[in-house]
Amino acid sequence: MRWLRSFAPRVALLMGAVVLVASVLGAGWGWLRAQDALRRQLDLVLAADAEGLLRDYETYGLRGLAEAAAVYARRQGPLRVLLLGPDGRPIAGHLPGAPARLRGFVTLEGEGERQRLLGAILPDGTNLLVGTDLEPVDRAAAALAWTPPVAAALAAALALVLGFLVARRLEARLAGIRGAAQAVMAGDLTRRLPEGGAGDEFDRLAGTVNAMLARIEALVAELRQVTDDIAHDLRSPLSRLRQRLEAALFAPREAAADAATLEAAIAELDETLNTFAALLRIARAEAGTGREAFAPVDLSALVREVCEIYAGVAEEAGRVLDPRIAPGQKVAGSATLLRQALANLLDNALNHGEGRITVTLEAGPVLGVTDEGPGIPEAERNKVLRRFYRLDRSRNTPGTGLGLALVSAIARLHGGGIRLQAAGRGTRVIVDFRPGAMAAVSRPRPAGAAGTTGE
Amino acid sequence: MRILVIEDDAATADYIAKGLGEEGHVVDLARTGRDGLFLALNEPFDVIVTDRMLPGPDGIAILRAIRASGIATPVLVLTALGEVDRRVEGLEAGADDYLAKPFAFAELRARLRALARRPAVAADSTELTVGDLRMDLLRRSVARAGRAVELLPTEFRLLEYMMRHPGQVLTRTMLLEKVWDFSFDPTTNVIDVHVSRLRRKLEAGGEAPMIRTVRGAGYILAPPE
Repeated sequence: MRWLRSFAPRVALLMGAVVLVASVLGAGWGWLRAQDALRRQLDLVLAADAEGLLRDYETYGLRGLAEAAAVYARRQGPLRVLLLGPDGRPIAGHLPGAPARLRGFVTLEGEGERQRLLGAILPDGTNLLVGTDLEPVDRAAAALAWTPPVAAALAAALALVLGFLVARRLEARLAGIRGAAQAVMAGDLTRRLPEGGAGDEFDRLAGTVNAMLARIEALVAELRQVTDDIAHDLRSPLSRLRQRLEAALFAPREAAADAATLEAAIAELDETLNTFAALLRIARAEAGTGREAFAPVDLSALVREVCEIYAGVAEEAGRVLDPRIAPGQKVAGSATLLRQALANLLDNALNHGEGRITVTLEAGPVLGVTDEGPGIPEAERNKVLRRFYRLDRSRNTPGTGLGLALVSAIARLHGGGIRLQAAGRGTRVIVDFRPGAMAAVSRPRPAGAAGTTGE
Repeated sequence: MRILVIEDDAATADYIAKGLGEEGHVVDLARTGRDGLFLALNEPFDVIVTDRMLPGPDGIAILRAIRASGIATPVLVLTALGEVDRRVEGLEAGADDYLAKPFAFAELRARLRALARRPAVAADSTELTVGDLRMDLLRRSVARAGRAVELLPTEFRLLEYMMRHPGQVLTRTMLLEKVWDFSFDPTTNVIDVHVSRLRRKLEAGGEAPMIRTVRGAGYILAPPE
C-alpha cells in the first residue's frame, strides 16, 4: 500500500468515501419518503372514492349504493368495491379475500397480490369496502430504489476523480518546491522556487522564500569574496617571509646577518598579525559585538582630543590639521572604536593625501575628514571601502588596506554609514551617525550630485 | 620578583616562564584556572599573569575571586588577538593591565615592571620630580632646572605618564594605551613624533637628554647620568 502514502490518492479516497456515505444516506432517506408519499396518495384516492359512494348512499339509499358497487365491479377498473349486509352476506360488488366488518385502512397480503382496503360500517349495519391493488405503487417504489446507490456511486466516482486531480496539482507544486530546496541544499544557491504567476498563497510563499534565498546568495558571495581576499593578501607576506627564511638558512651561519634576518622576519609577522587583528575587529564590528557595552560618548571632546594628538604629526609632515568641531555632539557607542575610526581616517589623509586636512564635526552628528589631493577616482570610491582594496599608487605606502573597511564597519555598528565625496582636488570622507544614514548611503547618488566630481 | 603565570597553552606558558626565568624572576606555572586560583589565594606573589580563556574558572572569574578575598596583587590579563573590546570587561573585574596575544616578550617585560613598581609616587601627590625635571599637577606646569617648559595638553599627559614610571622601559603600545586610550597601532608614527617634540622642549635650554630610546622596545625617562 505504498501508493497510499502519497497525498493525492489519499485525498481522493477520503473525498470519495465521504461523498459515498453522504449520498447513500441522503438518497436512501429520499427513497423512503417517496415510498411513504405514494402510499399516502393511494389512501387519499381510496378515501375520496368511499366518500363518493357514501354520498350515493345518502342520496339514493342502499339500492343506489348497490348499483354503484355493481358498476365498479362490471368496469373491472383498478378500484374494487364490495358491499356486505349486516349478516355478512355480499350484496353487490367483488373484492376477493376481504375480511368482514372492516373499519379503517388495512393492507391485505393475498396469494401473489397485495391490496390496500378501506372499510366503513353504514348506519343500517351494511359494511362498505373499497380497495385497490398495491402492485403499481410497489413497482414505482422498486424502480425508485435504484436511485440511492446509483446517485451515490456517481457522486463518489466524481469526488474521487476531482479529489485526485486537485491533490495532484498540489503535489506537483510541492514537488517543485522540494526540488528547488534540494538543489539549494546541494549547493546551487542560484536556484529559486517556481512561481505560478497566479498570485495565490503558494506564489506568495515562493516569493518570500525566493527573496530569502537571494539575500543568502548575496551574503555567501560577499563572504566568499572576503575569504578569497584574505587568503590572497595573507599569502603574499607569508611566502615572502618563507623565501627570506629559506635563503638565510642556506647562507653560511653568521651571527649578525642571522639576527638581522630574524628581526626582519618578526617585523613581517607583526604586520601580518596586525592585518589579522584588523580583520577580526572588522568581523566583530560587523557582527554587532560590543553593542551591548555602548555608552554615551562625547564625540566633540573625543574628536578634539584625537585632533590634538594628530596635530603634531601633521606639523612634522609639513601639513596642517584644521579641526572645526561643533560642541556638545554626543553618540551612543564605543569610545575605543570611535577613536580608532577617526585615527584611521587621519592616518589615511596623512599617508595618502596632500595639503591641509580639515576635520569637521557637525550637528547630526556628522564627521568629515577632507584633504586636498590627489583624490580618489569616482569609479574606485566604493571599492576603497572593501577589505584589502588599495589604489595602485598606494601599494607602497604603509597600511593593511583595511582602514576604510574598518571605519565603515564601525560606522555601521553605530547605526550610521560612511560615504566618500570629491572635494576640490581631494577627498572628503563622511561618517554619518544620523539614524538611517546607512540607507541613504546605499541609494544611488542623484544625477545633480555628479557635477562635484574631480577637477 | 615572584610571578604567577596561569596559562593553559603549554607553548605560551613555557615561552613566558623561560623568558621571565632568564631575567632572574621566580615563576610559578599553573595550567588550569583551579590550580591558578588556589596558588593566587594561598601564596604571595609580586605579579600575576593570567590568560583570559582557561579551563575551569576563566581569567575574569579568577580575578574577581582574588579581588573579593582582598588580595591587591597586580594582575595582567592575556587575551586572544582582536578582542580589544573585551579590555573594558577585564579592567572592570579588577585587572591592572591587558595584553593581546601574540605579544613581543619585551612588551610583557615592560608591562610587568610597570605593574610591580606601581606605587612609585603617591596617588594624591601634586608634584612629580625626576632629576631636575619638576611637574606641578595642580598648575599643570613643567620646569626643567628652573626653566619653564611650555607643553601642549597631549605632551603634558605623555610626560606625566613617563614621570610616574621613571627608569622603566615604556613601549609604544603602552604609551598609546595608557596616555591616549588608543587600543590599536596607528600607521603614522604618532608616538615617535610626540616623544621627539617632548625631547626637544626638555632640552631646549641645552640640558642633557632625559628620554632614551631603547631599540626595539620603547622609551625610558630617567635623570641624565
